[in-house]
Amino acid sequence: MTSQPQASREASRRPIAPQVVPGKADVCVSIPIVVVCSILTLIGVAGFIAGVMTETEPHAWEAFLCNFLFFFGVAQGGVVISAAFYLTQARWGGPGAYRLAESFYFFLPIAFVLFWVLFFGRAELWPWVTKPVAKNPTWLNTPFFFAREGFALLAMILLDFWFIRVSQRVDVRQWALSNDNIMMPPTAIRRLAPAVAITYAVVMSLIAFDLIMSLAPAWKSTLFGAFFFAGAFWSGIVAMALTAVILRGRLGAENLFTRDSVMHDLGKFTFAFSVFWAYTLFAQYIVIWYGDIPNETFFLVVRGALIGGPAGYTLYTPWMIPTWIVPVLVWVIPFTVLMGVKPKKTPAILGGVAFLGLIGMWLERYVLVVPSIEPRHIPFNWIEATITLGFLGIFGLCAIPGMKLTIAAAAAPQVLEAAER
Amino acid sequence: MAAEIELVGSFAEEEECIHAVEALRRSGVEFRVFSPIPSEPLIHAIGRGLSPVRMFVLLGGISGVLTGIAVTVGTSWEWNLIVGGKPVVSWPPFIIIMFELMILFGGLSAALSFFFFARLPQLEPIPGYSERFGADRFGIAVECDEADSARIEAMMREAGAEKIAHEDPRPESAEH
Amino acid sequence: MAAALEPINTNPTYADIDRGVRRIMDPPGVIFWLWIGFCATLVAIAGALWTRQIYVGLGVSGLRQPNMWAVYITNFVFWVGIAHSGTLISAILYLFRTRWRTAVYRFAETMTLFAVLTAGLFPLVHLGRVWNAYWLLPYPNERDLQPNFRSPLVWDAFAVSTYLTISATFLLMGLIPDVANARDAAKGWRRTFYSILAFGWRGTGEQWRHFQMMYLLLAGLATPLVISVHSVVSWDFAMAQLPGWHSTIFAPYFVAGAILSGVAMVITLVIPMRRLLHLEDLITTWHLDNLAKVVLLTSVIVSYSYITETFITWYSQDQYEVVTFQARYFGHYGPLFWLMVWGNCVFPLALFSPRMRRNTTWLLIIMIFVNIGMWLERFVIIAGSLATSFNPSQWGFFRPSITEIMITVGSFAWFLMLFSLFSRYLPIVSMTELKEGIQWLRQSLRDNYYPDLPGG
Repeated sequence: MTSQPQASREASRRPIAPQVVPGKADVCVSIPIVVVCSILTLIGVAGFIAGVMTETEPHAWEAFLCNFLFFFGVAQGGVVISAAFYLTQARWGGPGAYRLAESFYFFLPIAFVLFWVLFFGRAELWPWVTKPVAKNPTWLNTPFFFAREGFALLAMILLDFWFIRVSQRVDVRQWALSNDNIMMPPTAIRRLAPAVAITYAVVMSLIAFDLIMSLAPAWKSTLFGAFFFAGAFWSGIVAMALTAVILRGRLGAENLFTRDSVMHDLGKFTFAFSVFWAYTLFAQYIVIWYGDIPNETFFLVVRGALIGGPAGYTLYTPWMIPTWIVPVLVWVIPFTVLMGVKPKKTPAILGGVAFLGLIGMWLERYVLVVPSIEPRHIPFNWIEATITLGFLGIFGLCAIPGMKLTIAAAAAPQVLEAAER
Repeated sequence: MAAEIELVGSFAEEEECIHAVEALRRSGVEFRVFSPIPSEPLIHAIGRGLSPVRMFVLLGGISGVLTGIAVTVGTSWEWNLIVGGKPVVSWPPFIIIMFELMILFGGLSAALSFFFFARLPQLEPIPGYSERFGADRFGIAVECDEADSARIEAMMREAGAEKIAHEDPRPESAEH
Repeated sequence: MAAALEPINTNPTYADIDRGVRRIMDPPGVIFWLWIGFCATLVAIAGALWTRQIYVGLGVSGLRQPNMWAVYITNFVFWVGIAHSGTLISAILYLFRTRWRTAVYRFAETMTLFAVLTAGLFPLVHLGRVWNAYWLLPYPNERDLQPNFRSPLVWDAFAVSTYLTISATFLLMGLIPDVANARDAAKGWRRTFYSILAFGWRGTGEQWRHFQMMYLLLAGLATPLVISVHSVVSWDFAMAQLPGWHSTIFAPYFVAGAILSGVAMVITLVIPMRRLLHLEDLITTWHLDNLAKVVLLTSVIVSYSYITETFITWYSQDQYEVVTFQARYFGHYGPLFWLMVWGNCVFPLALFSPRMRRNTTWLLIIMIFVNIGMWLERFVIIAGSLATSFNPSQWGFFRPSITEIMITVGSFAWFLMLFSLFSRYLPIVSMTELKEGIQWLRQSLRDNYYPDLPGG
C-alpha cells in the first residue's frame, strides 16, 4: 500500500502510539439514557398502532413519513459530512471531528427497516397508488417505486458502512492526527469518500423526488432533490454542534470540544450551510413566484408561502404559521445570532441555535410532506406527537454505539494535542 | 535631553521576532514591527486586539440593505404600475437588489475603513523601515534614548536578532 | 534561480520566491510584444465590426426571430462564469484556509477582473442603441422613469456591477503588500507606478492587523457574491416560462458550471504561462492537482444537473418540455449537445486518476474541451431553447454571422491581451502569501521528486 513508506518515514520522525483512540470498552453507557429512550420508543410504537387502527385520517402515516425523513436525514447527513471532511482534508479536530460526524450511523440500517413499514401505509400517503397518474405510470407505480427506493437505500447504507469501517482504521486515524503536512488520506478512504458523496446526492435526490414530490404528482421542481439533501446535510451539522455542546459539559476536564477553535468551526459550518439552505429555498421560490404557472404555484399556495402573488393577492391559510416559522428557525436565527465570532464560541448560544435548528428542520419536513395530504388544516395531534417521541427514542438508542466512539476520541490525549497545532 | 535614536532589529525567522515582541511588551517598551508576510501569531503577540474595520463593514452592509430597500421600494412607488402581474412592491426581486447593495457597500466600507485605520496612503517614510522588511526579514523599530538602548538591544539579541542598526529617527531622505 | 534545465530548488527561501516572481516583471521581449500586437489586431477587427453594427443596426448579426438572444448573450454568460472561479479560489478557499491556493489565486483573481470586464461589454454589444445603456441604473430624471426592479435584467445590472467593483477592490487590496515588495526593488517609472498602487504600504504590525481583518471580511463578502451573481445571471433565463429555461435548478447549476469553466480556464492559462515564465518551482504539480480536483467536483455537479433536468422532464411529461429536450438531444443542435456532454461530463472523469491530474499535457487537453463544452452549454441552453419554443410554427434555428464570430474571437483576444499585460507588469503570483505558506510549498516540491508518496 502506498501509505506504508510514508508511514514509516513519519514514524521515524515522530513516534505515534499504535492505538490512537481508546477502544469502545473504555466508555460505559449511561443507564438513564437507555431507559428513557426505550420508554419513548414504546410510547411511539403504541401511538403508531393506535393511530393506524383507530383514526380515519392518516395521522400515523404522515408522522411516520416525516420522522423517517428527518431522522434519516440527520444520520445520513452526518456520514456524508465525514466524507466531505475527508474530501477537504479537514484535520482541525483530528479523528474526533470524524467520529462526531459519524455518531449517528447506527440509525441507518434501522431506518432501512423502518422504511418498509411505509409500504403498508402507501395508499394513505401517495395518491398515485390508488389513482394511477395518467402521464407517467411507468415511474409512479407501487412495485417499481418500492424496488428502486429499497435498492437505493440498501446501496447507500452498505456503502456508508464500508466507508465508516475504513474511516475507523488506524492508518486513517493517524492521518487525521497529523496536521502539519500536505499528505492526502490513505488510498482506501480517498476512493470511498467521493463515492459516498456522489451516492448521497443521487439517493437523497431520489428520495426527495419519490417520497415527497410524488405526494403531489402534478408538481415538479428540479432543485427539490438538492434542497432536500442540503437540508439533511445541515441537520447533520447542527446535530453535531448540539452533540459537541452537550458532550463538552459532560466529559469532564479536558476534551476536544472545550477547544474554542472546534466550537468556532462548528459555528461557522452552521452559519454557512444555513445560508446555503436558504439559497436553495429562495432559488426555487423566486422561479416559481416569477413564472406564476399554476401547476407550480399551487404547491406554495397550499402552504401559505406565496406572498405578493398575482397583483398582490395572498392566500391566508393555517399552514402559513408553520411554513414561515421554518425559515426563521433554520436561517434567520442562525444567520443573525452566529454572525459574530464570540457567539460561535459560546456553547450555550451555539447549542441553543442548534436545538432550534433541529426543531426547524423537523418542521420543514412536516411542512413539505403533510400539506400535500391535508391541505386545509394542520392535523397535528397526540398520535403525531407520540410517534415523533418514538422516533426520538429509537434514534437515541441507535446513537449509542457511535457516541461511544466520539466520546473516546474527544477525550484521547493525542487528539487534544493534535487540535492544539 | 538625551539623544533619541532609532534601534532597528532585523530577524530572519518569524519565531524570533515573536519572542522579541513578547519581551518588549513585557517590559513596556513602545515598538513598531515590520513583517513581510501576514503572520497571525505575530499580530496576536502585538496584542492590539481585533481591528475596528469589522464594525464599519457591518455598518456598510446594513446601510447597503437600507439603500436597497429605499431604491427599489421608492422607485416602484414613484411610478407604480403592476408589471407582468407582479405587485408594485414585490419582495422577492427586491431582496436580490438589497443583497447586492449590501455586499457592495460592505466591501467598499471594508476597503475605505482599512485605508483610514492603516493610515494609507502613507506619503511620508516610516522611520525604521528597510527594504529587507518587505522581502525576507522581520524588523522591530524602537525609538528610545541613548541610555536605554543597551537594555533594549540586549532583549532583541536574546530573542535572536540578526543585526541591530542605530539610525536617525527622523530621516530626511526616503528609505534606501 | 532555476532556469528550465537546472534542477529545481526544493527548499526555497523567501528570497528565492521574491527573485522568481520579480523576474517575471523584467521588461518583456519582442515575442511578448508580437503577441500583444496579434491580440490587439483581433480586438481592432472586432471593434470595427461592432462599430459597423452600431451604425447599421443589429441586423448584421445572426439574430432573427425567434432567436433574439444567441451568441452575444452566450458570451456574456460564458465570461461571467469564467470570472467566478477567480473569486472562488481567492475568497472561498481563503475562508477554508486551503493551503494550495497561495500560488495560483492571484492568477485567478486577475482572470476574474478581466473576464468581468469582457463580460460587461456584451450586454453593450447586444444593445441596438448603446448610447442609452445608462438607463439600466437608477438616477433622478424629470419624468420619474426608473428601472423596473422586477426585471431580471436589472438584477443583472446590479449584480455584475457589484461583482466588478468588489473583485477589482479585492484584487487591488490583495496586491498592496506585493506591489510594495516590487516597488522596493524597482527603478524609474515602474517604481512610481508601483508606489501609487502600494499606497505607501510598509508592512507595519498595525497595517497588517487592519489588512487581515479587511481581507477576511472582503473574502467573506465575496463568497456569497460569487454565488449570487451567477444565480442572478441564470435567473435571466429561469424567470421566463420557456421550456428548457424555466427550471428551479438553474441557479446552483449555473454556479457549478461557472466554476467548472473558470477553473478550467485558470488551468489552461497556468500551464503554458508556468512554462514560459519558469514558474515550475512556485506553481507545482500539487497546485495543478488540486485545481483539477475542483474541476472534477464541479463537472460531477454539472452532470447531476443534466441528469436531474432530463429526469424531471420525463417525470412530468410536460409536452412542451419533452419536445424541447428531444430537440436539444437529437435535433438541429444535437451534435453540439453531445460535444458538450463529452467536454463537460465524460472527459473530465479522467481526472479521477491522479496520474492524469499531474500530467500537464493531458490536463491542458481536458481543460480545453471543458471550455469548449461550457461555451456550447450556454449556447445550447440559450439558442437551443429559443429555437424550439411553444408554437412549432415559430421555430427557427440560429446561424452566427461573421460579426458575431469575429466579436467572439475578439473577446478572447481582448481578455488574453489584458491578462498578458497584467502578468508582465504586476506580480501575477502572490509573493506574500507564498512566503506565508512556504512550508507547504517546500513539501509539494519534495513531492515532485518522490512520486511514491501518498498523494500519488
